[in-house]
Amino acid sequence: MGWIMTTWDSLPLILQLGIKIGFIVGPLIVAVAYYTLAERKVIAYMHVRVGPNRVGPRGLLQPIADVLKLMFKEMIIPSKSDKYLFLIAPVLAVTPAFAAWAVIPFSGTLVLADIDAGLLYVLALTSMSVYGVIIAGWASNSKYAFLGALRSAAQIVAYEIAMGFALVGVLMVAGSLNLNTIIQAQSGGLHQWFFLPLFPLFLVYLISGVAETNRAPFDVAEGESEIVAGFHVDYSGMGFAAFFLAEYANMLMISALTVILFLGGWNSPFDFPPFSWLPGVFWFLAKLSVVAFLFLWFRATFPRYRYDQIMRLGWKVFIPVTLIWIAVIGAFKFFTPFGFIFS
Amino acid sequence: MESILFYLFATVLVVSAAMVVTIRNPVKAALFLVLSFFSAACIWMTLEAEFLSIALVLVYVGAVMVLFLFVVMMLDIDVESMREGFARNLPVGALVAGVMVVEFAVVMMSDRFDSQSLPRPAGHGPDYSNTKELGLVLYTDYVFAFEVAGLILLVAIVAAIVLTMRRRPNTRYQSPSEQVKVNKSERLRIVSMPAEKRLDIDN
Amino acid sequence: MITLSHYLVLGAILFALSVVGIFLNRKNLVIILMAIELLLLAVNMNFIAFSYYLDDLAGQVFVFFILTVAAAEAAIGLAILIVLFRNRRSINVQDLDQLSG
Repeated sequence: MGWIMTTWDSLPLILQLGIKIGFIVGPLIVAVAYYTLAERKVIAYMHVRVGPNRVGPRGLLQPIADVLKLMFKEMIIPSKSDKYLFLIAPVLAVTPAFAAWAVIPFSGTLVLADIDAGLLYVLALTSMSVYGVIIAGWASNSKYAFLGALRSAAQIVAYEIAMGFALVGVLMVAGSLNLNTIIQAQSGGLHQWFFLPLFPLFLVYLISGVAETNRAPFDVAEGESEIVAGFHVDYSGMGFAAFFLAEYANMLMISALTVILFLGGWNSPFDFPPFSWLPGVFWFLAKLSVVAFLFLWFRATFPRYRYDQIMRLGWKVFIPVTLIWIAVIGAFKFFTPFGFIFS
Repeated sequence: MESILFYLFATVLVVSAAMVVTIRNPVKAALFLVLSFFSAACIWMTLEAEFLSIALVLVYVGAVMVLFLFVVMMLDIDVESMREGFARNLPVGALVAGVMVVEFAVVMMSDRFDSQSLPRPAGHGPDYSNTKELGLVLYTDYVFAFEVAGLILLVAIVAAIVLTMRRRPNTRYQSPSEQVKVNKSERLRIVSMPAEKRLDIDN
Repeated sequence: MITLSHYLVLGAILFALSVVGIFLNRKNLVIILMAIELLLLAVNMNFIAFSYYLDDLAGQVFVFFILTVAAAEAAIGLAILIVLFRNRRSINVQDLDQLSG
């Protein structure tokens, strides 16, 4: 084992970082691929169908077939489009979706960059994901794409505020912007997790996360039956695949953040054996899968909201709820003896 | 390493800033402005101003520039009529810019100002938290200014809404409270009808 | 070796570019607003550089407030722009001559 460590230390820093990034991005891409399969399977069973089952045993090679198909398809660039922006948009959609994973702690020590303002970094990067959408819609020079982009951008901006306020609640309780410190503040079992004292914020965050990633029931940006496919209607081949990848990576990202901020991150739900024997990575991934499953469940269950209903929910319900709960946390912590509820 | 990063980001920053003011299409100008904000944030990061650097990305790239893009994309701007005189004024403009930069540089590089010999600080250790330090100053020494800043933002929100809101009497709104309040007697009418006589269907 | 004056000159270049931007695009209200944002960025660059080299957080506090006020200014400016466009169907500065008696 020793020689591995010595060669590792002798590598230049940039190579070490590259390898670490590869170890995050590689599994992430595989996870995204199989998340799409999971989506089709889960929704199929909820509809009493079977779902993809032809490629490989029980359809397990379906995502690989999909990827190969998308890779070998021609990428059509509409002649009236803005070519540079048209090609940059998918890149701008994918980059923030992947870059945000740099600060996600998979366990107490397994994190690429344990930076001080990790939560702010995540917020900043998720706020950048809107550019891929808006540029794609504009550069396509098509009415459907543009309408989809405007809808999506307005929706993302609106729900980002609610999400940001929900995060403010978390930081008030945890007293830190560092994701690992936030998780450590929730150690000690299920009853210490933040989703209990911050239950309204937890719900707001989860639902805003669905809206932020433009998923059903808030998928008016794509709205198949209304505006064909929204902002990426003119994309094909790898361009389309990039948007697909970004959407699912963002969903996993939101699930990971929900787990970290409200569901105790890599803490085990019970602080005694045999639960505490399992490693933190296991608990993190298990919780992440549960939250990611919720996204699919929502899609199979709820009909699409109308656009004005989405906007009203964001501005007139979620933002007031988060503001009030922040005030409640502050008042409890500093003016009453019951502040321990929020700590 | 420091110099490579500085020159890289500074070049991107200056080129994109130049594109903002010269490019024809306002949407692209806004996108180049995004790029310049982003590279400025990178430079701030190297100056140990992590909080402000991320805040710049969050506030400007994430919110203000999206607003700009929205407005620019929605408005049907006639670019040509507004660019008249651009080519004529360009040489003068470039000259003015050059003179300004040279003047600034002469002042800043001069011995009297002596900003070149100022040693680059060693930087704080890995335990230094810029966010925390800034918060400690902001909520104690500058708390009054902080409150005023909050008030300014509130006024801005109210002003922006008041300016752009307009009553459109012909649009239909949904009122959830009205919908919830209805009871059976308002929506349902039970009509008693005599049973119809059986028809003779034999013929 | 990057000295303080490097950052100050960078700020000066940005400042000059944005002033010239206002000068060149003096008919296009949107570009003028963007140039103002760039101008404030140049100022912020100087503040942060000074804050780092003099090891004084006051500079960063100033930047914080400038960012706040600039965001408010951009929001109100764009709101006025939209109202203007609604009423005049143009954002050309030369069309804004209704008050000229």
